[in-house]
Amino acid sequence: MSPTSAVVAERPPPVLGKGHGGMPARRAVVRWAWRLFRREWRQQSLVLVLLVIAVAATTAGLGYAGSAGDPQAATFGTANRLATIGSTGAQADADLATLRTSFGTIEVINHQKIPVPGSATAYDLRAQDPDGPYGRSMLRLTAGRYPQGADEVAVTPRVAKTFDLRVGGTWDQGGRRRTVVGLVENPLNLLDHFALVAPGQAGADAQTAVLIRSTEQQFRDARKPDGMSAQFRGTQTDPGTITVLVLATIGLLFVGLLAVAGFTVLAQRRMRALGMLGAIGASHRHIRLVLVANGAVIGATGALIGAVAGLAGWTAFSHRLEPLIGRRIDRFDLPWSAFAAMLLLAVLTAVGAAWWPARAAARVPVVAALSARPVPPRPAHRFALAGLALLAAGLGALFTSHHEEPPYLIGGVLGVATGLLLLAPLGVAAAGRLARFAPLAPRLALRDLARYRARSSAAVAAITLAVGIAAALALAAAVSVAKAAAPAGGNLPADQLVVWLGPSGLDGPVPTTTPDQEAAARHQVDAIAAALHATSVLPLQAAMDPNGPRAGDSGGGRPVSQMGIPRHETVGGRTRTHYSSDEADPLVVATPEVLRHYGIDPASIAADTDIVTFRASYDGYDLFPTDQHDWRPKVQHADLPAYPSLPGSLITGHAMATLRLQAVPGGWLVRAPRPLTQAQIDRAEETAERSGLTVETRPTGADVARVALFATAIGIAVALGVLAVTVGLIRSETARDLRTLTATGAPRRTRRALTAATAGALALLGALLGTAGAYLALLSWHHRALHWLGHPPSVALATILVGLPAVAYAGGWLLAGKEAPALSRQALD
Amino acid sequence: MSDVLRLDGVSKTYLDGSDEVHALREVSLTVEAGKMVAVMGPSGSGKSTLLTIAGALESPTSGEVHVAGQPLSGMSRDDRSRLRRRAIGYVFQDFNLLPGLTAAENVALPLELDGVPAGKARAAGQRALDDLGLADRAARFPDQLSGGERQRVAIARAVVGDRRLLLADEPTGALDSATGETVMRMMLAACKRGLAAVIVTHDAQLASWADRVVFIRDGRIVDRTAPRPGPESLLAGEAAR
Repeated sequence: MSPTSAVVAERPPPVLGKGHGGMPARRAVVRWAWRLFRREWRQQSLVLVLLVIAVAATTAGLGYAGSAGDPQAATFGTANRLATIGSTGAQADADLATLRTSFGTIEVINHQKIPVPGSATAYDLRAQDPDGPYGRSMLRLTAGRYPQGADEVAVTPRVAKTFDLRVGGTWDQGGRRRTVVGLVENPLNLLDHFALVAPGQAGADAQTAVLIRSTEQQFRDARKPDGMSAQFRGTQTDPGTITVLVLATIGLLFVGLLAVAGFTVLAQRRMRALGMLGAIGASHRHIRLVLVANGAVIGATGALIGAVAGLAGWTAFSHRLEPLIGRRIDRFDLPWSAFAAMLLLAVLTAVGAAWWPARAAARVPVVAALSARPVPPRPAHRFALAGLALLAAGLGALFTSHHEEPPYLIGGVLGVATGLLLLAPLGVAAAGRLARFAPLAPRLALRDLARYRARSSAAVAAITLAVGIAAALALAAAVSVAKAAAPAGGNLPADQLVVWLGPSGLDGPVPTTTPDQEAAARHQVDAIAAALHATSVLPLQAAMDPNGPRAGDSGGGRPVSQMGIPRHETVGGRTRTHYSSDEADPLVVATPEVLRHYGIDPASIAADTDIVTFRASYDGYDLFPTDQHDWRPKVQHADLPAYPSLPGSLITGHAMATLRLQAVPGGWLVRAPRPLTQAQIDRAEETAERSGLTVETRPTGADVARVALFATAIGIAVALGVLAVTVGLIRSETARDLRTLTATGAPRRTRRALTAATAGALALLGALLGTAGAYLALLSWHHRALHWLGHPPSVALATILVGLPAVAYAGGWLLAGKEAPALSRQALD
Repeated sequence: MSDVLRLDGVSKTYLDGSDEVHALREVSLTVEAGKMVAVMGPSGSGKSTLLTIAGALESPTSGEVHVAGQPLSGMSRDDRSRLRRRAIGYVFQDFNLLPGLTAAENVALPLELDGVPAGKARAAGQRALDDLGLADRAARFPDQLSGGERQRVAIARAVVGDRRLLLADEPTGALDSATGETVMRMMLAACKRGLAAVIVTHDAQLASWADRVVFIRDGRIVDRTAPRPGPESLLAGEAAR
């Protein structure tokens, strides 16, 4: 063969031009990324599985949150105003005619109370049209048919059980015999127990509720009957969906941090291929696109599979949640926009996680990439400076939030969390520096962590986040417990409880009770008192305006008269006055029993005194709800308790008569010989709940502590999960070293210690950073009362700081020790 | 005849910890269109560094490099990428085909990266494969090809389009002698079509195919030989030295 000797025509220099190959280049790169995903998806199955789990769990969570729906729909149906007219008979007909004239279509529902033998609660006899324009969504027939005639009734299962009724049987209720023709329910509130009769078939004394749909302007300007009260449907918010999306974001943040580690390993494994791509002319943008496109493919695949799995699971199992959430679930009525947002978030998480390794890989010189040399880690101090700045800003925001400013609070939490994440590389680098003092296996482990900092920092960051949330909750719970144990402050003394007739104590409407119901309630209170070995049981009677507005729900009742500070606000050019329960004193009737209980001689009360109170005066306060806002009471000061749930303001018989108020049973104050334990409180609550009563006690903090312990356990479980995922990734890149160790005679014990030390070191770093961050955040939050942080949650902190690293070390020891089967470097074809 | 590759006083120094390593020292070399130059030398002599600098993969510490009339100094990273995909083709010892892409897609990749629509690029790739006798292997993935076929695909990728310079680093190192000769013949054919080629090899017999042989030791060119026709000429040249 001879050397070349052909004469070659001269060619002009190539024109380089600009651009990066446009769409054809991007398409070619994405095609390769897709093919790589198809060939090597098993290597990325970890990230894929995590995404699938996150998306599936979020889908189910969104279904759950969405199925809770708007709780107001169970009362309002599709209307937005619920009016109650106090009139009966011909006047009621006239009032309804007025409403029809004003609003056009209305729906009338009559409510009559059905006493339940032996209980303070009552069922609702409801006269409602099943095909009503607004209320039909609140009725569902489960058996038989709807009542049509005057002597027919349908009941909910609970009512049927209570009165031993069945379809086809008869029910003799209040002297009236009706045939039970069906079983019904309120699908929007399964705890709504009622008996349904045909429209107009409730008793003459039934309360008349009217469902209306109108704008605020229409309602304000419309002619309305005298004495009508109205409830307004609030703006529909969906806090459940928002909560699920927030939790999903946190979950995806964890997945993203783990995916960073996974994609970093992937980029290292493909480094020679990426170098080859660079050698044939791919720009850094093309190389970056390979990994970002891979991330997008993983994200889209994970989102798709997760969505399908989540939807399938939700469809199959959602009906089991109905008793739990108390309403029927339309399994296809998901919050689809939130669902779409979550899918997008999942894809963006994967793309975001791929971005950093992609950027790093694109910066590797082609020659270094072709030799697959590990990229030297970036100096940790660059991240540390940004981390410290964010941490300081976050702590500053928490410091200045004064527990009130949501933007500062949210910004503070985000700043602290992000700052901690960016400090993770510094922690890993510091661990690498400490390696020289350690024995062989931990020394190698720590140095490997520092060498492969990109992935180990991501793991530490994820653990820090999990542990930080758990530690912050544990510390916050400790503060709650400390506050509960404090001798002063709070709603009640620690040795007392109040059994209320209504669910909101005296702050909400007090149900109207018959003497039998009151006696039944007293019987239960005595049972509670006996269990506590109570020293006294004091009946509390509330002052109520019998002509005041009636609460609109089916339970009935009227609000208690209170002294409150009026606050005025102008909405839509109209000034409204409202009262906050934080600035209001419910008026308890000054019975001789109550006065003597607090050591006040009834004879010492002046005949013209209106209110006996712990306050010096009621200047600036109004009586509400009433028309007599300008009433200025004559106040007599007494040594009454200032606890907001104890009777601190007693209205005298003189004032009751002046104002034409009525005394109604409100509750019973029970005093125990010593502070109540959580177990005693739990038993009292169970007893009260069975009778429809409500128990109020001073919070012991035990519930919060239980939640904190649960959160700690979850945080540790998540951290261990992160370790299980990342330790393998980190050690996989040092398989060559493991072979060398084995070849030089290192026993299995050394190999085990290597993995165990890797897991233990990651766990310890995450635990230290997370706990430190949580403490700093709580110190900033409670900077005005640092003494609350003087009772650290020892068990939770010890579990995090000692237990987590110990379990991680033990787990690493038990699961490791195998020889590396192959070198990590993946050859090109 | 124009110089496709010109190196003027090129030096390359690396930092190895606190030590300086001189990979190339004042190397000057020109390769004209249609010519093949073989670079020989012991391990660590700087052969591969010479190739990476000539291929715009690395920048020299000093000196000037021109490829197809374009000076590399002052070129941005993106301009170097464009130059590589338009004017320079690489062939490596271990083939370095991209897994996941078929033979035709591997060959078409530089064109697609340069913005040529996929259809046109594939057609050009197919033609390049036809020229190298691989038409029936176009749809196969690299792991479905033999070593010789993979290297021929790599050559097709290196010459596809309007390439001016072919750089090969031990292109026959992983092949048996018969396949290696086939590969060399194909590279020679590419040169006859107007490409300039620089081939790094340890194999004196293969180097004898070149128009010139450059010996490099400790980063310096120590000898240049224009062999007589036939592989045995190189041995004669070494004996004379």
